[in-house]
Amino acid sequence: MTTVTGEAAFDLSLTEEQQLVQRTARGFAAERLLPRAAEFDQKGEVPTEIVRELGSLGFMGINIPDEWGGSGLDMVTYVLALEEINRACASTGVIMSSHVSLVCDPLLRFGSPEQKSRFLRPLASGEQLGCFALSEPGAGSDAAAMRSSARRDGDGWVLNGTKNFITNGARADVALVFAQTDPAQKHRGIAAFIVERGTPGFSVGKLEHKLGIRGSDTAQLIFQDCRVPDAHLLGAADEGFKIALATLDGGRISIAAQAVGIARACLEDSVGYAKEREAFGQRIGDFQAIQWMIADMATGIDAARLLTWRAAAMKDRGERYGPDAAMAKLFASDVVMKAARDCIQIFGGYGYLTDFPAERHYRDAKITEIYEGTSEIMKLVIAEDMLGE
Amino acid sequence: MKLLVCVKQVPDSTVRVKVAGDQKAIVPEGVTWAISPYDEYAIELALEHKDANPGTTVGVITVGPPRARDALRQALAMGCDDATLVTGADVETLGGLATARALAKVVDEVTPDLVLCGKQASDDDQGFVGQALAETLGWPHVAIVTKFVASDGGTEIWKEVEGGHEVWKASGPAVLTVQKSQKDPRYPSLPGIMKAKKKEIPEKDLASLGADLGGPSVEIRAMEPPPARKAGRVMKDGDPKALAAELAKLLRDEARVL
Ligand SMILES: Cc1cc2nc3c(=O)[nH]c(=O)nc-3n(C[C@H](O)[C@H](O)[C@H](O)COP(=O)(O)OP(=O)(O)OC[C@H]3O[C@@H](n4cnc5c(N)ncnc54)[C@H](O)[C@@H]3O)c2cc1C
Repeated sequence: MTTVTGEAAFDLSLTEEQQLVQRTARGFAAERLLPRAAEFDQKGEVPTEIVRELGSLGFMGINIPDEWGGSGLDMVTYVLALEEINRACASTGVIMSSHVSLVCDPLLRFGSPEQKSRFLRPLASGEQLGCFALSEPGAGSDAAAMRSSARRDGDGWVLNGTKNFITNGARADVALVFAQTDPAQKHRGIAAFIVERGTPGFSVGKLEHKLGIRGSDTAQLIFQDCRVPDAHLLGAADEGFKIALATLDGGRISIAAQAVGIARACLEDSVGYAKEREAFGQRIGDFQAIQWMIADMATGIDAARLLTWRAAAMKDRGERYGPDAAMAKLFASDVVMKAARDCIQIFGGYGYLTDFPAERHYRDAKITEIYEGTSEIMKLVIAEDMLGE
Repeated sequence: MKLLVCVKQVPDSTVRVKVAGDQKAIVPEGVTWAISPYDEYAIELALEHKDANPGTTVGVITVGPPRARDALRQALAMGCDDATLVTGADVETLGGLATARALAKVVDEVTPDLVLCGKQASDDDQGFVGQALAETLGWPHVAIVTKFVASDGGTEIWKEVEGGHEVWKASGPAVLTVQKSQKDPRYPSLPGIMKAKKKEIPEKDLASLGADLGGPSVEIRAMEPPPARKAGRVMKDGDPKALAAELAKLLRDEARVL
């Protein structure tokens, strides 16, 4: 990664404030998240007070300019913070990144000044929580196949349809909702709407029970003749799909950072255990079989982190970064899957028990290969960049 | 009220320190540095006073090597108004008395109403500099402080004692050495970090302060890591009654705690 300050041509060092943010995130994660991560997982909820604390420290609008209520830091700093938070609790990590990358970011990029002032400011300052509602029961990877509709009605729109798998859906104050205005236009007919909780016709359906990231809620959102004014249309009526794809490009960097964070948890827990556990009269860390797993883990994590930082720095510099974000996510999610598998292996039978964190890392890791574009879709994006026009 | 907090940058509590080859210092490589925990409580106490009394200013100062700038930056990000770094050759081996005398020179210049220090630094746990500073300044000193409030022309100061606290009153400037209190030190907020980034941290040259850096001092003769702890023993298989009897026997005969 080249530096964000851009002075040196090839310098991976962090600026003073990047290090300070990293330390703050690490301190918060170690003191407020790590001791309770197992409880959040078990109860299926990260308490609202934790999300509020993150907000009051400025994490929920970390890379949003301060004029819109954010902290004004760059994308590199954001991924540094995400790695620390996910290292302690992946559920908290995705609550933060869905809000920041998938809601605040598109509002900043595509919102009108009025929309930023009304919606972005309370979101970026952490007073409100946002969710991103693209996926549907019949449209995941093929998001353009969505059935949710938006019908023009006087000076507004009427939304109908069901969104599912929506992170933060159950408690979000604001949802960014994608709907089809004209099925004949396919993806060119899709529009993005800002819908507030409490809008008549908008309700939260069932909550999903999940393998991992159980502390983050995943909800169905239901729209039945839900009327929203024109002022809530984000971008132009034919720009929704473009907004969704551009938003997911950024989101993928945050999922790569999540994967790096969980993988680091696997590594640190493995190292700790390998130094203490004894078998055949020696520490298991003295066995080469264990050493190799740890060496692979450490190498994979560093490589994944570098890809993640590079994609983040490219975004900061305003370069085209979509394929790089896809590479970072593809690679990092693969690294964390292997790290989590080996982490349980190093813990042996204890790794399989809920008394130890290894099995939680294993369950949390898997989602990074699925959401914000599956690994197969990441390869599609990368290959298209290689082979396309 | 004008407050000045003296801080020391020490190895972070999570660092596993290693003793250097000469056995007189720790290996600095790979150490992450942090504000000494009691000093963080002193900062928090000062900032709480500022929160409640908006006219308050909180300055922070350290005598240390250039890397200690990070500690000052963190204090600024937490909400302190200004920071001063006193540095120079040999600053890392400066004794406690010389440190206190250097600080006193800056206190003379800044003229704060109160000086706050942590009650001891977490690296050498000497608990010396705050008291020596008070002595050098000729100011009163209150130790193990958990709270203070301004009250008609002076300051009421809560000092922790066994099972409770005493309230002392200082009629003029004083040095307080601060104890851990109930409210944990705040995290620097991210907007706070951005604001701190824009602040200048002026540097003062240790040798040019005019402080007497000689005088009695202590010298570290040798350092050694604590002996490795013996592994604990788990007793779980067998009849609970027999286990209990065995445990009592071991506690009496082996551990000698009964
Ligand atoms: C916990 C969780 C949280 C989520 N949060 C959100 C959220 O906040 N907002 C939101 O909008 N969505 C969210 N999602 C949805 C998520 O983004 C989708 O699940 C994901 O995009 C995959 O879509 P799908 O589940 O419909 O799978 P499908 O698209 O049906 O895919 C099934 C399989 O087919 C493969 N496949 C599909 N198309 C191709 C192709 N062209 N080439 C090769 N292989 C292909 C896929 O890779 C996958 O292996 C979340 C999902 C989960 C599980």
